[in-house]
Amino acid sequence: MSPPQQPSSTNPNSLKIRLTHRFLHNLNNLNKKRSNLDNTQIHQRYNRVKLAAYASMAHVVGSRRAWSRAILWKIRNRKVSTRHKRVDHKPTNHHHARSIKRRTTNHSNPKREYVDPNGNSGQEVKLRKLVPGVETMDACGLLDETADYIKCLATQVEVMRNLVDLFSTI
Amino acid sequence: MNPEFIESNAGVRSQGGIKWQQPQSFFIENDHHLQNMFTSGINIVKPDPGMDDSWAGLDAGAYGYQLGCGDHMFLHGNLTSVSVSPRKRKADKGQTLQVVSEKEKKIKRCSDGDSKITRQNSSNNNSNSNNSSKDKSKVSKVQKPDYIHVRARRGQATDSHSLAERVRREKISDRMKFLQDLVPGCNKITGKAGMLDEIINYVQSLQKQVEFLSMKLATVNPELDFNIDNAFTREMFESSTSEFPALACSSTNSAYFDQLNSLDQVVSYSGLDMGINSSEMGLRRSISAPVSVPEAFMDSSCFNQIQPTATWDADLQNLYKVEFEQGTLIPFQSHQFTGSNEASNLKMET
Repeated sequence: MSPPQQPSSTNPNSLKIRLTHRFLHNLNNLNKKRSNLDNTQIHQRYNRVKLAAYASMAHVVGSRRAWSRAILWKIRNRKVSTRHKRVDHKPTNHHHARSIKRRTTNHSNPKREYVDPNGNSGQEVKLRKLVPGVETMDACGLLDETADYIKCLATQVEVMRNLVDLFSTI
Repeated sequence: MNPEFIESNAGVRSQGGIKWQQPQSFFIENDHHLQNMFTSGINIVKPDPGMDDSWAGLDAGAYGYQLGCGDHMFLHGNLTSVSVSPRKRKADKGQTLQVVSEKEKKIKRCSDGDSKITRQNSSNNNSNSNNSSKDKSKVSKVQKPDYIHVRARRGQATDSHSLAERVRREKISDRMKFLQDLVPGCNKITGKAGMLDEIINYVQSLQKQVEFLSMKLATVNPELDFNIDNAFTREMFESSTSEFPALACSSTNSAYFDQLNSLDQVVSYSGLDMGINSSEMGLRRSISAPVSVPEAFMDSSCFNQIQPTATWDADLQNLYKVEFEQGTLIPFQSHQFTGSNEASNLKMET
């Protein structure tokens, strides 16, 4: 299975390769920042790796998709807010910064069949929460974005699995 | 119904100069289809003072009704009698009946195109338009529509709203089919609700996998340099027969890569070379090196099992069962262990 020469957006091989590049690049930057060897900071590193994963996904796709734009926007805002809060280095700070940007959702009916004012069923609402950036889209666009998001997520998972397997053999 | 109408028209015409309310009321009372069309905004011809003009107007309007309604036969039967202008009545009647025989008519979906329907109709009725279009003031040349052309099927509502609704529903079902291909195991599920459930579950599971894998990556030895060359990544996706190229790594890792080369050969000899998928290359991981993994890492207990070198078999089996619940890789494990054990012995010796 030789990878094609021209990277195309829909070719899964090319997507995988680009994701790998980008992800490794992000991880490298991540490691260069600080070296956390303690057990207590495993969680912090985990968060950063997760962030790097989503960031690499969004960067590879670019601004073409609403979900990638949403992720990039979140990351940018997160950076800005953490820069302002440089004084406090607690890991909870990151969660706080992230939650500021999160849109408020209705948590009053967690179990019941929830119907939106627009007439959306509870499932659509759940899907909108899962996929970033689709909260104001119609059903048609929502399904489009979901399909693209699923494709990218699956590729990212595969890349990460390969990496883990590779690095765990050290 | 037809004879009634004809007679009524004859009666109307004979009286001369009668406005349109009367025949229109016939329409309204007797046919709710027409009523729908009336209410849906298709322009009824306003009563004109002159009879000829009004006839002409009704003619155009009637054509509009002909082609704007799904229930053609019935309405055509009603309309042909009235739709014909007095002097051309007999001639046109035969021609309109030909129009009637068509089962499907093309309906343009317009935003404001009520009157446009009548104009389109004139273009469709080739045989009739020659005769009748001369009389019409409304009927003009076909405009250049920018619309989505939707074909209304027989027996379905031809309301512009319902057409738009149908287009939207078809789009959504197309996308659901595409999603069905993406999400594994959705072939049997039909219906939007079940599919949405599956999609939601799949997205959630993918996100959980990302979290899990990032946790694992976070516990990898941080001294390991992630700076890997392009060629290396390409290597990851090709079949596993060649050696690793020279990498830009620290010197501490060079020994590792020598080992990995030999491991590579051993594993490939033992039949690893599936040659199918790049993820299959991950089977090389069957060697789990004694990494300096922190003991406090609780989630993947498999890591703790890596370190003792005494019982490779059991530990590795547990390792894979814990890690890969998805089940796709488990069948591959068993027959790889022989090769893996050899390679592990190799590694331990060096």
